[in-house]
Amino acid sequence: MPSNDVITLKSVSKSYPLGRLRVQALHAIDLTIARGELIALAGPSGSGKTTLLNLIGCIDKPDQGRIVIDDADVTAIPLHRLASLRRDTLGFIFQTFNLIPVLTAYENVEYPLLLQNMPRRDRDLRVRRWLAQVGLADQAKQRPDQLSGGQRQRVAIARAMVTEPKLVLADEPTANLDSETAAHILDLLAEINTATNCTFVFSTHDPSLIARAERVVRIRDGRLDDRQPATASRQQAELLTA
Amino acid sequence: MKRLLCIVLLALPLFAEDGAAILARVDAARNPLPSFSVDVSLTSISGTASESSKFRVYGKGSDRSVVEFVAPASDKGKYLLMLRDAMWIYLPSASRPIRISPLQRLMGQASNGDVARTNFAIDYNAAGVTAEGDSWVLDLAAKDPSIAYARVRLWVDRKTSEPSRADFYVVSGKLIKRAHYSEHGLRIEIEDLLRPGNTTVMQYAHLAPHENPDRMFTKDALGKW
Amino acid sequence: MIIKLALRNILRNRRRSAITLTVIVFGAVGLILFGGYKARTFYALRESTIRGRIGHLQIFRDGYSKAQSHKPLEYGIEDPTAIRKEIERDPRVKMTAAQITLMGLVSNGEKSETFLATAVEPPKDRAMNNQRLTAGTDLPDGESDAVLVGAGLAKSMHAKPGDYLTIMTTTTSGSLNAMDVRVAGIFMTGVKEYDERAVKMPIAGAQQLLQTKKIEKLLVFLQNTDETAAAHSAIAARVHGIEIREWSELAPFYHQVVALYNGIFGFLGIVVFAIVVFSVANTILMSVLERTREIGTLMAMGTTRGRLRAMFVGEGIGIGIIGGLLGVSAGWLLATIINHGHVMLPPPPGYTLGYRLEIMLQPPVLITAFLVSFVTATISSIVPAMKASRMKIVDALGHI
Repeated sequence: MPSNDVITLKSVSKSYPLGRLRVQALHAIDLTIARGELIALAGPSGSGKTTLLNLIGCIDKPDQGRIVIDDADVTAIPLHRLASLRRDTLGFIFQTFNLIPVLTAYENVEYPLLLQNMPRRDRDLRVRRWLAQVGLADQAKQRPDQLSGGQRQRVAIARAMVTEPKLVLADEPTANLDSETAAHILDLLAEINTATNCTFVFSTHDPSLIARAERVVRIRDGRLDDRQPATASRQQAELLTA
Repeated sequence: MKRLLCIVLLALPLFAEDGAAILARVDAARNPLPSFSVDVSLTSISGTASESSKFRVYGKGSDRSVVEFVAPASDKGKYLLMLRDAMWIYLPSASRPIRISPLQRLMGQASNGDVARTNFAIDYNAAGVTAEGDSWVLDLAAKDPSIAYARVRLWVDRKTSEPSRADFYVVSGKLIKRAHYSEHGLRIEIEDLLRPGNTTVMQYAHLAPHENPDRMFTKDALGKW
Repeated sequence: MIIKLALRNILRNRRRSAITLTVIVFGAVGLILFGGYKARTFYALRESTIRGRIGHLQIFRDGYSKAQSHKPLEYGIEDPTAIRKEIERDPRVKMTAAQITLMGLVSNGEKSETFLATAVEPPKDRAMNNQRLTAGTDLPDGESDAVLVGAGLAKSMHAKPGDYLTIMTTTTSGSLNAMDVRVAGIFMTGVKEYDERAVKMPIAGAQQLLQTKKIEKLLVFLQNTDETAAAHSAIAARVHGIEIREWSELAPFYHQVVALYNGIFGFLGIVVFAIVVFSVANTILMSVLERTREIGTLMAMGTTRGRLRAMFVGEGIGIGIIGGLLGVSAGWLLATIINHGHVMLPPPPGYTLGYRLEIMLQPPVLITAFLVSFVTATISSIVPAMKASRMKIVDALGHI
């Protein structure tokens, strides 16, 4: 019977070279994420949260340990062979939006569906639905350089969701936005999470985002520190991320 | 024998018989020895300039001879083989003798060599004889189309049967060379009538019998003995 | 989608794409101009060699080439009339010309020189039109003892039109013959060494000099050079006792020129190709490096390496097609302008006459230019595409 867990990490370690030295980014991490969770990975810069996010997103490989995604052990599979897994199961949202500049909003959102070889009519329905969902139905024909930061991130969100993934990873999704826009984006993400039961994992040091998360996974110096409940006060959250 | 043949074949007037007879005597006088050697001194005169060369000729019969180049020093070691229908030259720098084509025989001294050794009786028929002073003038026609000069006009001293002058004509009737014979055949002066002022003088000396084996007159033997 | 992406990415950086296209266009234009010049040169040399000198086919008596003859025309054609009639029945044949080549001595009364004569039928020789008369007139019909003398030989013989020379050679039977000839005209072929020995005389005069009715060879001229092989077989089937040689076997100089030019232009072509490849590859590589983060994003989203390569190669192909079309158009335009411009070039080695610059535009050259542009651009994009596909996602995403 398929478990309710979307992703499991067991004793995962990762280091990377820095000049002639090797820096240990993660030490034997154990982590399980269940379907539908809205998780914040919190920690100071250099704590390893981005590295952890990359491993979860299957765009990097651990030195040691096991990673199981959607009941499939992907540890041994080389990254480039995981492309179809990422395409079908994962969605990505970036701090710098990372839209393809030569494509319109519509086409950017459409791209993952083209990778899946979805027929045209179905594609069109999906793209329009998600553009509407993020409130950009009228901006479909515009190119990224014609959109504001908030609008671009919405396109990115629509693009991440259009394949109806099981897990969406977002690295500092609100870092390049002003606080008002960031708040709107967060509302959107929470809405989608509730509506679709898609798992969201963010890495962030935005306290308001941390406050919105059901579960906060803290990292410090490459190790987990999973203590505070989602209901921790804003103030406490601020303290903890100092 | 040749004389008899001529009489039988040419039932012509007296002159024709005389012509053939005269010719026979001319050749007898010119080629007294069946196998011989002779030194030849050749001077080529062009206007006021002149060049000399020396050869030693070994002959057998009237149509086979080997010419050894003696002087100038630059020509030493060269040999010429002259047969009836062909001429070969051997150069020390080459590994084998080179055949000289009829065309090449037109040029230089090879053409004078041809003139000097013309065998009137064998190659020509006497078509007419006239008298002119001390000489018979014979009109000779080549017997074969392959003979170099199609026609020759020959002046022969009546008393000695020695030729004094010969005019050589080609097929078209053009007069090409004139030979003057003197010193009982030991001196021949040949004028090139296409280039007036150009004369070749051939002086023969020490004509003596010499044993020349037949095999000497083959192209393979040329230069090897 | 790949096409859409490719085209839009090409337009993304207009200036860079323009530069790349310019390089490709230069390459294509170069190929078209050089190729067309070469083609024109070959064509002109071929036709002038054939029509002015050797004919499309040459007919000899069977056994001519194997024979070693010591006498002139030993292997000549005995009765050319019947053979000519049969050959001229073929509508592909434009005309036939009888010839004899002979050597001998020519004398002006003071000195002799060797000469090489081509004995021709005067009206046919005029049709061939291969020498330029610098003095006097062409060989008149009917006069068998008028000759044309090469400029070098005329100078050495101090001869001018109206003077008489004596030519001497051996007849077909081996005896000597000589003929007085009148210099009708002096000619230049453009090849200095040839003009120092050359004589042209009427074939009737040569036959008289050689004491024969034979001819050495029959030149056959066709309407169209492309029909050579067909005409060859047709004649071989209908006429017996002959050997036939095609112009290609008789034109070593032409083949040498072809080989030389092909060698030179081949080398130049390789150099141009290398320059274009490096230039285009460099441009696409810069584009790849600029789009590093974009590449990382695409890979994160699940774009396979193969698809990523296809994207960049697609850009290469797109540039190749656009560049190829532009290049062919530019080349065609430039060639047309040059052809109307009547540019004169200096004489090539061994010749004394200059000629007009003309670029031959033939579909194969244009298609080749397009294909080379296309292939070059595509090949140039391969290394950058490989580089893009081998990027590590994490590093690419972290790139500025």
